[in-house]
Amino acid sequence: MSRYLVKIDGNEYDIDLAYRADGYSVTVDGAPVRVTSHRLGETRSVLLVEDRSFEVDVRSNGLADTKTVFMLGVEIPAEIEEYHLGQLRKTAGMKSGPSVQKKLKAPMPGLILEVKVAPGDKVSKGQPLIVIEAMKMENVIKASGDAVVKSVDVSKGASVEKGDQMLEFE
Amino acid sequence: MNTKIKKILIANRGEIAVRIIRACRDLGIDAVAVYSDCDKTAYHVRLADEAYHIGPSPSTESYLVHDKIIAAAKRSGAEAIHPGYGFLAENAVFAQRCADEGIIFIGPTPETITLLGDKLQARAAALEADLPVVPGETLDGDDLKAALVKADRVGFPVLIKAAAGGGGKGMRVVHKPEDFEEALERASSEATSAFGDGRVYIEKYLDRPRHIEIQILCDRHGNAIHLNERECSIQRRHQKVIEESPSPVMTPELRHTMGEAAISIAKKTGYVGAGTVEFMVAQDLSFYFLEVNTRLQVEHPVTELVTGVDLVKEQIAVAEGKPLRYRQEDIKLDGHAIECRIYAEDPQQGFTPSTGTLKNYRIPAGPGVRVDSGVVIYNEIPIFYDPMIAKLVVWGSDRTEAISRTRRALQEYRVAGLKTTIGFHLAVLDNARFITGDLSTSFLPEEFPDNNYSFLTDDIRRCAAIAAALDKFSHERKIALSSRSPGKSEASGWATHHRRESLRWFGGSR
Repeated sequence: MSRYLVKIDGNEYDIDLAYRADGYSVTVDGAPVRVTSHRLGETRSVLLVEDRSFEVDVRSNGLADTKTVFMLGVEIPAEIEEYHLGQLRKTAGMKSGPSVQKKLKAPMPGLILEVKVAPGDKVSKGQPLIVIEAMKMENVIKASGDAVVKSVDVSKGASVEKGDQMLEFE
Repeated sequence: MNTKIKKILIANRGEIAVRIIRACRDLGIDAVAVYSDCDKTAYHVRLADEAYHIGPSPSTESYLVHDKIIAAAKRSGAEAIHPGYGFLAENAVFAQRCADEGIIFIGPTPETITLLGDKLQARAAALEADLPVVPGETLDGDDLKAALVKADRVGFPVLIKAAAGGGGKGMRVVHKPEDFEEALERASSEATSAFGDGRVYIEKYLDRPRHIEIQILCDRHGNAIHLNERECSIQRRHQKVIEESPSPVMTPELRHTMGEAAISIAKKTGYVGAGTVEFMVAQDLSFYFLEVNTRLQVEHPVTELVTGVDLVKEQIAVAEGKPLRYRQEDIKLDGHAIECRIYAEDPQQGFTPSTGTLKNYRIPAGPGVRVDSGVVIYNEIPIFYDPMIAKLVVWGSDRTEAISRTRRALQEYRVAGLKTTIGFHLAVLDNARFITGDLSTSFLPEEFPDNNYSFLTDDIRRCAAIAAALDKFSHERKIALSSRSPGKSEASGWATHHRRESLRWFGGSR
């Protein structure tokens, strides 16, 4: 038996799962739910919840505790963790996810058109830092708060992938 | 001049290349594709009769290089080049080069492209043809101070636009004088990088206008017709995302007036081929000339579905020198069509591009559904080009049926590996104001101010949560089982587990 907390769009679901001879026994927020799943492949399956039928495709995003559920034509990001770990984290008052950003990462893949700051520069909130061209649009990346630039990790003309570090603040 | 075209080179990629290849096939014409490094296995290459490599992935080193396109055309023996939209579609220098090389450019003459491609000259032409235009000012090398004076004269809010522009590039809305300088700089630099021409001009920004455009078709013999309107008011970053025909506000009288206006500017500028005359329509239904797009539009299929005219086929016929086969009275308007542009973008994050591999891709089908797709499963979406992967175009006998069919079709999509705008479209189609047809170009920021396009109900979220939990559960069980197989190899542990899992997944019945 396993119990998970799943967070979607800010809504939290407490899901309890166990194998049974004929499938699963599932409760969501304490209430039993009839669930059947028929596998179609590595990631895809037909999911019946009560008698509602969905074709779902669940993929892990590399990060252990996030999954993307593709269903009804759309992708639904889900954060998932062991129920008890989640409870511990809550009592400790910790937030899930990364802490305050000291690193500026590329929000999208693209080409660096301009770097407007240098190490040691003091920047204030809203100040343009870097201009990225992605899909033919120029995107100005601005400072989200006051900070001092520690290092600049990209230069004009470089191409970046989403998540690549571009700047570090003190 | 009357030439039978037997082979066409398509100087484009993605869904529009596919669309044109299909028209060629329908006409028994050989279709020649060109491709860059990252498009080696692209869908348009797979469908074409011949394909020529034209260089590295950045479009400035491949799809935009005149010499390479011309060389491929010569090598293949194509008599004509179809530029699609974007890239070289509105490039007069390229159109002239084709003419010089004895290749038919499927589009208007270089002179017409030059005239209409320059928004300032187009405005002048519209005034000459007695079309109403939006109040505005040109900036002929004005410094910031002079530009600000002009912006003030037009009156804030103003719109800064690239003289050579299109597709929302080099365009900025400025609400306050203090934001003017940065916007001007950005617009000009964006225009320089996108079009090689940094000239911009300013226009009065109309309050909640509709964007309505008229499709035109003209031959080389002086015949010109219009094929009704398309309403394209649902825009983000000044780019259309949902288009429909007819417009929910259109009346037969207004259609006639706007159609006549479109034809008059076409005649004034010697227009040949398919084109689009764009208008802004104010809340009181007064209309203003915006620009002429001298190309096939992205949203041309909505017109095709309600008129039954294959616009690409007609473009080719006009290029062959044939007179139009339709007269104005032959153009019908049957039912209602809606197009949703499916982009590889994350709508919840302000439509940032989402690149990657299409790990699953299944398109909708059924009554009234047409999908113009530029990709197939396992295609990679490169960062170098426009992120639109497909257009879903749906026909219904009226707007209500078209909306419900579109909603149905969107939910039939199966895409994995990328974020797309499918959920965004579902949210818009569920919006009460959209359903009543109360549209304007500021519809999205007004109705979805936080970019929250979720159409998910709690019910669906719960089911998604169950799917995620089941996935984690079975993965954890796999790991637990494989570690509990001492003395056996990893592989056989997995095999045993797999057999057990198969029994579990398929064997059980309730």
